[in-house]
Amino acid sequence: MIAVVDYGMGNVRSVERALHALRAEAVITGDPDVLRSAERIVLPGVGAFGVAMERLHGLGLVPVLDELVLERRVPTLGVCLGMQLVCTESFEHGDHRGLGWIPASVRRLEPGEQNLRVPHVGWNDVTARPGASLFEGAGVFYFVHSFYVDPEDDADVAATCRYGVEFAAALECGNVVATQFHPEKSQRDGLALLERFISWQPALAASPA
Amino acid sequence: MVKTRLIPTLQLKNWGLVKSRQFAHWRPIGPPVVAGRVYNSRGVDELIALDIDAPRQERTPNVPLLRDLADECFMPFTAGGGVSSPEDVDALLRAGADKVAINTGILTHPERVQRCSREFGAQCVVASIDARRVDGGYEVHVRAGTEPTGLDPAAHARHAVELGAGEILLTSMDHDGMMDGYDVELIALVAQAVDVPVIACGGAGTPEHFVAAVRAGADAVSAASIFHFTRHTPDDVKRHMREAGLDVRL
Amino acid sequence: MPSVRYCSRCLMPETKPDLSFDAEGVCDACRSAEHKNVIDWAARREELREILDRYARKDKTNYDCIIPVSGGKDSTYQVIEVLEMGYRPLTVTWSACSYTDIGRHNIESMQKLGVDHIQFTPNPRVYRAMFAEAFKRVGDGCWPCHVGIFSYPVRVAVNYKVPLIIYGENPQLEYGGPASASANNVIDRSWLEEFGGLLGNRIDDMLGVEGITEADLIPYRYPSDEELRAVGVSAIFLGYYVKWDARAQLKKVMDSGFRVNDSVADVGTEPHQEGTYTNYENLDGKFVGVHDYLKFLKFGFGRATDHASIDIRNERISRDEAIALVRTYEGKVPRRYLEEYLEFVGMTEDEFYETLDAFTNKAIFVTDENGRLVRDDNGEVVKKVWPDGEGAVAEGERLAAPYR
Repeated sequence: MIAVVDYGMGNVRSVERALHALRAEAVITGDPDVLRSAERIVLPGVGAFGVAMERLHGLGLVPVLDELVLERRVPTLGVCLGMQLVCTESFEHGDHRGLGWIPASVRRLEPGEQNLRVPHVGWNDVTARPGASLFEGAGVFYFVHSFYVDPEDDADVAATCRYGVEFAAALECGNVVATQFHPEKSQRDGLALLERFISWQPALAASPA
Repeated sequence: MVKTRLIPTLQLKNWGLVKSRQFAHWRPIGPPVVAGRVYNSRGVDELIALDIDAPRQERTPNVPLLRDLADECFMPFTAGGGVSSPEDVDALLRAGADKVAINTGILTHPERVQRCSREFGAQCVVASIDARRVDGGYEVHVRAGTEPTGLDPAAHARHAVELGAGEILLTSMDHDGMMDGYDVELIALVAQAVDVPVIACGGAGTPEHFVAAVRAGADAVSAASIFHFTRHTPDDVKRHMREAGLDVRL
Repeated sequence: MPSVRYCSRCLMPETKPDLSFDAEGVCDACRSAEHKNVIDWAARREELREILDRYARKDKTNYDCIIPVSGGKDSTYQVIEVLEMGYRPLTVTWSACSYTDIGRHNIESMQKLGVDHIQFTPNPRVYRAMFAEAFKRVGDGCWPCHVGIFSYPVRVAVNYKVPLIIYGENPQLEYGGPASASANNVIDRSWLEEFGGLLGNRIDDMLGVEGITEADLIPYRYPSDEELRAVGVSAIFLGYYVKWDARAQLKKVMDSGFRVNDSVADVGTEPHQEGTYTNYENLDGKFVGVHDYLKFLKFGFGRATDHASIDIRNERISRDEAIALVRTYEGKVPRRYLEEYLEFVGMTEDEFYETLDAFTNKAIFVTDENGRLVRDDNGEVVKKVWPDGEGAVAEGERLAAPYR
């Protein structure tokens, strides 16, 4: 059973729909007991980092998630804000602590010299790094975000995207993968990635922080 | 880089889908779910669905029908029609929409629009602006195009962005359903006035029209009639756009 | 959300596309029917004769017109009319995917009226692949059939250089067809869009489905505008020129050998087709029951309502009698050929119901708090509002067929 974590922020229904379309057994839940019986986890998220962490703590979900991810090493997928939450810290509207599963910081996308529009919204090309588990070469995925992830260890970058600068479109570290884009909203390429996640057996030599 | 998006628009009226001409003369198209499935199978970039009866009947949008549509979309889905409060936005997001379009609400409940943007994020809020030509320029209309406002679309768009809208959906009432080309002047006017993405709508009849709209400043192009009434498919159009040098997703 | 309104005279609901009610709540189909009684049909028939004369071949080396036929009573009636007026049609059939015995018999009986007939059967492998995909994509497995039925006669018109095509009833009830204009009005691509029932899907969208290639789609392609102009292909709707009365026409076609369904009888005492109380419609194919059921799920009404409304307009039954018939026969899961259907589209019964549920308009059927459809003890979905303003049929309230 794949648990789609419900903490009141995020398009849980879209994720569930996509997983069902791929014939996977998925359940939307914010109940720690139900979560404990999950074989895989998807952590979605739409909105502000600080508010999300408050909610996760407030609902008592952090200990359960830590147990599942760090101890039981359950395959875990963070999506969009979910990818940012797995990081150590974020500088969105202040200074916040994240779940810390992957050492990284979350920073604001800058318009830069090209005066790009922020948020970064739309379909963009994603190039996978060799060995990235959930990707097969390049793909086009849907992004909508104003912040990006800056990992401490470049080896944790699974795929990149270019919007003014090159940034991490996806991370992979042990049993945790995360995408800045929305696979459940990226049709063909997105559904293919989710399908790979459903059967993914992480190599457990490397372990998250 | 981010690709130029092609976004078909669906209009819900009287229990089903319709296609309008100049915001009047509605022709039925069929059940919404069918259109949703067809577009999803065609791999369009996004889908917009507007309940055009809601503003006239002064009610909230038809959530069951919009939810049915959202269920078919494995791409971003924008829902709208009669939205004027954070509760409306929440209901639509829960039903599966990724973004919500607000039109009349920008004028009648600006403080609520601000709240929506703060609560759900600016990228969730699309300001939908309908405009028609008048002497010396253009005039914004609300309530599904029935009420003139005396407002200039560029100024109104700026105001909407100030309230927290993350995108503008700009529709030309004169060219709606006419398939005679987008109103490129109107597009340029609004695109130059704001920093957020502008989705142009109204008038597409040939693949070349889409190219003209993008060159006038649109970040995304929307259409309906061309896909219901001609042999052109979204892929046709995108191929033409790519040949014209635009970066699109195929 | 407001609840569905019905015509105050017949039983058509406002969920039917293209239907509108006037100030008295009467639908435009009923008004057209009223109007039928004040039309000068003699004058219309003269118009028809003029048009046929204009297109007829004086040298008799080619046909005067094309009539698309299915073996059904409507198209058979069209053939009888044109023959009686003294013209020579070429009849064209796009084969149904699964003929019943009656369907086959009725085609032969139509041929015996004394006409040349082309029967085209599309590649069954290609057809089956498109049927299965269309069922999932647009909720209508018959989609490739609609395309074929509409496009193929036009292709024949082009290839045989016979410009006039005669259709039956006009769905829009507005005008007689492009050929009725004094200037030659060629039916171009937009005619297909308007009357072809493509549901937004295009033939091109089928490329790649189960390996379908360009060549597989040859018979489905509508001729190009150039081809149409070169021959001057045009069309008329017979229903504009001749007063349409289903039951009267039925009698006429039966007199020349047309057979109705007199063998099937499960509910009540009178044999009837699935989804309706009549026994003379849609006899040719086995899968029409599913097609009709999907219409019921999408729009809230099926052919029982169609037939009952026609009978009301022709003053054969009262509105109350009609409602009773509809509530007994309409919107029942089509079990008669269901197994064959599942095999044909390659689905399990569960997948079938999943697909049906996706196409059901949740605003007009009863759903639970999660937005999922509620089913009664017989496994049927439950309509929120029937034409008499009441909710669904109460348990055990199944009527015998009262129609005489």
